Amino acid sequence: MKALARVALVAGRELRAERRQPDGIVAAVTFIAVLVLLESLVVGPAVARDADIAPALFWLALAFAAILATMRSFDRELEDDALEALVALPGGRDALFGGKVSALWLILAIVALIGGLLSLVLLDLPVSLPGHLLILVALGVIALPPVIVVDVVLTLRLRARAALVPILALPVLVPQLVAATRGATAAMSGDGVGALSWAGLLFAFAVVYGVLGLTIVPAAVE
Amino acid sequence: MIETTFPRGTVLRIRPWLGIAAAATFVVASVMALLWAPTDAVQGDVYRILYVHVPLAWLSYLAFVIVFLASVGWLWSKRPVFDAIAVASAEIGVLFTGLFIVAGSIWAKPTWGVWWTWEPRLVTTSIMFVMYVGYLLLRSLSTDFSRRATRAAVFGIIAVIDVPIVHLSVLWANSLHQLPTVLRVSGGPALDSSMLLTLMVSLGAYTLVYAYFLSARISLELARQERMWTRT
Repeated sequence: MKALARVALVAGRELRAERRQPDGIVAAVTFIAVLVLLESLVVGPAVARDADIAPALFWLALAFAAILATMRSFDRELEDDALEALVALPGGRDALFGGKVSALWLILAIVALIGGLLSLVLLDLPVSLPGHLLILVALGVIALPPVIVVDVVLTLRLRARAALVPILALPVLVPQLVAATRGATAAMSGDGVGALSWAGLLFAFAVVYGVLGLTIVPAAVE
Repeated sequence: MIETTFPRGTVLRIRPWLGIAAAATFVVASVMALLWAPTDAVQGDVYRILYVHVPLAWLSYLAFVIVFLASVGWLWSKRPVFDAIAVASAEIGVLFTGLFIVAGSIWAKPTWGVWWTWEPRLVTTSIMFVMYVGYLLLRSLSTDFSRRATRAAVFGIIAVIDVPIVHLSVLWANSLHQLPTVLRVSGGPALDSSMLLTLMVSLGAYTLVYAYFLSARISLELARQERMWTRT
């Protein structure tokens, strides 16, 4: 079986599991919705609508939501003792990383869509360049999962895993979060060149961590 | 297959000499920094903290690059000595990064008027510090030797990407922090020759201190590994 077909198989299996038992996506969507609602209550509606503040909180919330969804996905594997079988397959380790990342892209896209629409509607955010914002969000969604999947794999079966994953993942995600936030701010305020430059950086980080993940994650899965 | 031979002899033999060299160079560097180097025309004597702050910063980068190389070494060869080098260098790197943040903060108060400001170099350095604290935490929570070494090695490879980000952050963003003075893209060092010489001697002293700490910690780690293999 070709590598891509194996990745598609794992991703398809992951999405089917999520459809049958959608606790990962439900937890992530609920989390981001609660944060959007809390945001305007805590900092006040005027500050929450600020083009610098709203994207920052959105991307931080999305990063945490992605961590929640990824941990739930691996918990499901551990509960069913499915991880060992998956890893034992020829090329299973690469497929595990590729498949999980691909499935998470789709799950995170849904979460970002719902969270983004909630932010736009509830906070009445002004968006000067919606097309640029869409490109940026798409690339942001692609850039976050590789790092998160690597960190969740590293902490499998460890004590205090729930605390350890954000400690390991968030500092590594800083460039992506900065690029996504600055890019979204630029798109909202009409700076098209700025938005696309940050989108390019997001793409570069997605490629770097994607390749790095495919190269070294197989060694970390035991 | 994990190799279980321990090259401790070499480390033990060179350590006392490293200690003597480090102590002697440190004394020379301190005298040069406090008494010989001229006073800065703008900052006065307070700039002398440069001779602590900059070597600590460079050695922190070096320590984390060594973690990266040792991590690649472990994944490549599964020789425990690489894991010992990685943990030793990470611990020293965290110590040096902590000290370089504190030294920077002490320098910032008289020059910028604040102990801390949210500017790119300071923030990225703090993130690097937290990242390697996370690396040590990851190690401390794993019990099985091989799994611990592999997990740590993977994270050690990922985390090194932050090192160039920290160094170049002053160029990429509007920064209050001084731009690179020694390793400049346009031309040679923008520093008086006696200041530069003092800085280089300080760098040598701190490098020897790093090497001494590294050899001591590697030796300790190898002894720990040896005891573990003997028990099993």
